[in-house]
Amino acid sequence: MAAVSLENWVERIRDPKIECMSRDEMADLQSRRLVDVVNRVYNNVEFYRKKMQDAGVEPGDIRSIEDIGKLPFTTKEDLRDNYPFGLLAIPMKDVARVQGTSGTTGKLTIAPYSQKDVEVWGECVARGLVMAGLTQEDIIHVCYGYGLFTGGMGLDYGARALGATAIPMSAGNTKRQMMCMEDLGATAFACTPSYAVYLAESLAEAGVVDRLKLKAGIHGAEPWTEEMRQKIESILHINCFDIYGLCEITGPGVAQDCIHKEGLHVHADYFYPEVINPTTYEACADGETGELVFTTLAKEAMPLIRYRTKDLTSINHSTCKCGRTLPRISKFTGRTDDMKVIRGVNVFPTQVETALLSMGGAISPHYMMIVDREDNLDVLTVMVEVDEKMFSDEIRKLDALRNKIAAVLKTALGVSVRVKLVEPKSIQRSEGKAIRVIDNRKL
Amino acid sequence: MIRQISVFVENEPGSMMRVTSALTEAHINIRAISTFDTPEFGIMRLVVDEPERAKESLTSKGFVTRIGDVIGVELEDKKGNLNQMLKILADGEINVNYIYSFVIREGKAPVMIFHTDDFKKAEQFLRDADVKLIEEKEL
Repeated sequence: MAAVSLENWVERIRDPKIECMSRDEMADLQSRRLVDVVNRVYNNVEFYRKKMQDAGVEPGDIRSIEDIGKLPFTTKEDLRDNYPFGLLAIPMKDVARVQGTSGTTGKLTIAPYSQKDVEVWGECVARGLVMAGLTQEDIIHVCYGYGLFTGGMGLDYGARALGATAIPMSAGNTKRQMMCMEDLGATAFACTPSYAVYLAESLAEAGVVDRLKLKAGIHGAEPWTEEMRQKIESILHINCFDIYGLCEITGPGVAQDCIHKEGLHVHADYFYPEVINPTTYEACADGETGELVFTTLAKEAMPLIRYRTKDLTSINHSTCKCGRTLPRISKFTGRTDDMKVIRGVNVFPTQVETALLSMGGAISPHYMMIVDREDNLDVLTVMVEVDEKMFSDEIRKLDALRNKIAAVLKTALGVSVRVKLVEPKSIQRSEGKAIRVIDNRKL
Repeated sequence: MIRQISVFVENEPGSMMRVTSALTEAHINIRAISTFDTPEFGIMRLVVDEPERAKESLTSKGFVTRIGDVIGVELEDKKGNLNQMLKILADGEINVNYIYSFVIREGKAPVMIFHTDDFKKAEQFLRDADVKLIEEKEL
């Protein structure tokens, strides 16, 4: 099946009452829920009670969503210090399930859910699936990992809430993924964008793309670029959608973009977004880039108040062409964690991806950044895989290609880059989140 | 004209061996080989008995390859013979990009392989000078 063009797109909205609510009505709903959640955490979680007392805030000071700035922030460190269940706001017996994510430091980030939290999660993912044009008729091939990671379960709950058919493939075994995708007639698939590219290329190599019924791809869990989206869409002839989430907040389904691709709609009735300047903590104006902060307005098990995500984005409160009033956050440029400061310049892997894919499709989208320090100077090496299209029998042509890639990267990043051409498929393919940067500096 | 297969390899231990082992596995015979290196990567150029099958087996092992034309010339093992052939090409103002020789052929004269930007002209000049060109089936 082919991608649907914008002109032929029929927009479906799962919950128009909420998704197209006026800003005043939404503020009323958010205010009621904020007052409720602040009371719940103050009464049930010692950590919050103490934090609010230290900041001189009483639950009574929070009367509307406007008052949210009075509340202290919650950080990833706070989660680690209270690992695993220190921030629980309900009795353990009411925890329906626990999901988690492996942090870079080794300890898990834990996300407990009540039964209602699970339902809200599925509902939010379902809103996204409808945003992607899917209905209960669709067959959704989920190749996100199932397990503690929220990707697989999240999409599964979404498909269930929608009434669609879920194929719980989980990650790995690309040959089997391809076989099932074709045999079971998947009309949509969900996985990380880096695996989507790999899977798309494998499907194209096997010559089965025309036999697939795919029309949509739902991809997230790592930052990706518009160029990457076009690459997947053009190989598979589908529409791809960017789904965002983090397990602490609920997992995938916190936000997703619609066919207009002008930012990701945040389900702000459940997750209140703020964008702040990460150094001054002041609120950013619409369109200004800063750190994304979430307050879970209805979460029962582990509500988070003004949780700093470390993800960088900007927010837009205007009504979208699709009709939704849900605020939109811009496609992610990266996490503050992924950002590398190289010779004083901020560099994100997504910038490298954009630059490589901008070279007229001649360059493979598989790359790896390696940061070293030589003689007290940061050195950035970008490994790029040589494919059939790029390969020339002549050293001088390969050298010229390498120099051209280096020049394009230097212009895009503002720092000089060493380009290393490597053999095809030598950069490890990820079935989950792709590792794009190795930092060997001992800072 | 003879076809050669070029393979992109990284300049690191074992990379060439992975090429030869893929060819061994596919029962491909290597007739001539040369390598060009830079500090980071290299190109292996090979003349084999079955270029298409060689490409297939290398592609399936994840290598990028390209099949291209080269000229094979039979030269008797006598002093000055290579010089003479190169002189013919130089006189014809034909540029030779690179040259390499065959592994020993049982009971036959050695063969030089070279690459040029102008195959037609090179072949014509060599034929006119009675130099024996080798075709793939004669290998």
